Amino acid sequence: MKGNNLEQLSLLVVEDSPADVFLVQEAMKEEGLECHLEVADDGEKAIRILDEVDAGSQSAPHLLLVDLNVPRQSGTKVLERLRQSPRCANTPVIMMSTSDTPTERKRALELGATDYFCKPSSLAEFMKLGKLLRRLLEKQPAAA
Amino acid sequence: MNQVPHAARSRVTERDRVQELTARLSEAEETIRAIYSGEVDAVVVNHPSGPRVYTLEGADHPYRVMVEKMHEGTVTLSGDRLILYSNPQFAHMMESTSESVAGAEFEKFLGPADTNLFTALVEASVARGYSTGELDLRTPSGTIVPVRLSVTPIDVVGMQNLCILISDLREQRRNEAILKEERLSRLILEQAGEAIVVIDPHGMIVRRSESANRLARSRVLMTPFHRMFPLTASSRPFETSHILSAARDGQHIQGLEVAMPQPDGDPRALLVSISPLAFDDGIGCVVTLTDITERKRSEEALARQAGELSHSNSDLRQFAYSASHDLREPLRQLAVFSELLQAKYRDQLPADANVLIQHAVDSAHRMEGLLKDLLAYTQAADAPQDGVASSDANRVIEKTLSIFETQIREIGARVDHEFLPVLAVHDVHLTQLFQNLIGNALKYRSQEPPRIRISAGRLDGMWKLTVADNGIGIDPAYHNQVFGIFQRLHGGSKYSGSGIGLAICHKLVQRYGGRIWVDSEPGQGSQFMFTLPEKKNEGQ
Repeated sequence: MKGNNLEQLSLLVVEDSPADVFLVQEAMKEEGLECHLEVADDGEKAIRILDEVDAGSQSAPHLLLVDLNVPRQSGTKVLERLRQSPRCANTPVIMMSTSDTPTERKRALELGATDYFCKPSSLAEFMKLGKLLRRLLEKQPAAA
Repeated sequence: MNQVPHAARSRVTERDRVQELTARLSEAEETIRAIYSGEVDAVVVNHPSGPRVYTLEGADHPYRVMVEKMHEGTVTLSGDRLILYSNPQFAHMMESTSESVAGAEFEKFLGPADTNLFTALVEASVARGYSTGELDLRTPSGTIVPVRLSVTPIDVVGMQNLCILISDLREQRRNEAILKEERLSRLILEQAGEAIVVIDPHGMIVRRSESANRLARSRVLMTPFHRMFPLTASSRPFETSHILSAARDGQHIQGLEVAMPQPDGDPRALLVSISPLAFDDGIGCVVTLTDITERKRSEEALARQAGELSHSNSDLRQFAYSASHDLREPLRQLAVFSELLQAKYRDQLPADANVLIQHAVDSAHRMEGLLKDLLAYTQAADAPQDGVASSDANRVIEKTLSIFETQIREIGARVDHEFLPVLAVHDVHLTQLFQNLIGNALKYRSQEPPRIRISAGRLDGMWKLTVADNGIGIDPAYHNQVFGIFQRLHGGSKYSGSGIGLAICHKLVQRYGGRIWVDSEPGQGSQFMFTLPEKKNEGQ
């Protein structure tokens, strides 16, 4: 059965392209993931959310999906901020980008990304994102 | 020579006799006076068998001493040119003794080329009573002695002898050579493009080139150096006393950059070189000033241009990168959403709508491929962040062949290679080269199964690598064109591709100072050749 127990979990998507947010949702639907999804459409908003989480005025996300090229503050800045957060320094992060150069993947992993997803131009490939999200979410203690 | 005739006895009157004796007495007294005063050195006496010459020993002696002691050499030659007499100077000149010289043939001392010249001199002297000319003598040990000969024929009791005066010209020649050298040095100094001045130990300019006057815009001779050339080094005065004290310490200064202020504009940039020079009263120096103002200006202009060029190149690269990168994003979405449309509404769409959507997806994918290649092209010549420029071509070939493994097996291609060199290029670049060339050889194949051979040889101090195939070949009219960006010779239906692979190869090879070219005829296969620098062994 596709995890009903994952419904309690929340996902923070840092992505400025509504089309890609839509595709992420499609991939989650395809995988049957029905967890809570929050979107920050630039890096600054994402960092503000993390500030609020640390201040205790908002609950911590269980997984972040961060595009490398978001406005105002880059995806890597968001990642750096997350790793310094007292509350969610260990939260898994998937960095994503259209670019598929090995250097970007390497750099993202070096900065502490849990995984790297290259946005593909084929629907079937994009839908694989759902499986990746499920795998990481299922590892969360709250999922158990 | 004065001659005193001796009158014959005659029978005369007593008075005549007295008169005659008185006359003879006065004549004799005159002769004795002449002999005493040195006006006479020989006396001819009439004799029944003919006149006889009596030389006076006291008169001959001074001449002999002169000949023996004079600076020039002198010899007397017999008619057949044997040396009858040589003074010590000639013998000395010929590094011999007078005794060994006397009796020798004079020709023995002539340079081989000068025998004819000597004969001509002798003939001229006989014809005109005197001749002179310069030729080379040669000592027994072979030393060449340039001399001036003065030849006078003398007739001694019917014998035709030659009297020759020989002046050694060696010192004169040396002096001439020194003089010539000095004239040349002066000329060089005066004509030198650099300003050259000689400063005496007191800081005065005692020699100068013309260009020194031009640089100072004044006559600088016999003026203090610092007044004419108020130089500064690193904005501080470059004092003559410093120059001279450096010269006294034996220091040579080479190409120090200094500035010389100008009354009517920017200071001129000069390179100064200083070498110590000994004077009688201390150490002065030679100062060379090279005006590099123009050179510096053009260097700066060049550097500025290079900077602008590199800036615009980097702008262009940045643009191409952004274009290809940022364009891919919406394109990717276009492709994915087209597919999504198809996936979600497949059953509700008319049949041909699915075909149309598929075309849209294909087009988006093709454009994405082009952008990817364009991105690869803009990055082709960039050096990788890590790794040294050293690549074993054998290893790279094996790696490349593993990429094509499936294709090679499917189409029954055979690829083989010689033992290949290690090249001074980055692995990733050599991989790109082989991947493009081998990929092309597999793609543009004829009916025959592809046969691809990679070989290496030397060319112009580099390694030349050849990728030869038995494919469809290329018309020579297109041999240059194929290396251009987005150049394709075939429609996409038959051979797919963006036409950028060979452009990348071209750019890569150029980056290493090599070149790439093709030798091919349609239907005859192709040989792609490229040159790359060899990897030098560094203490391996």
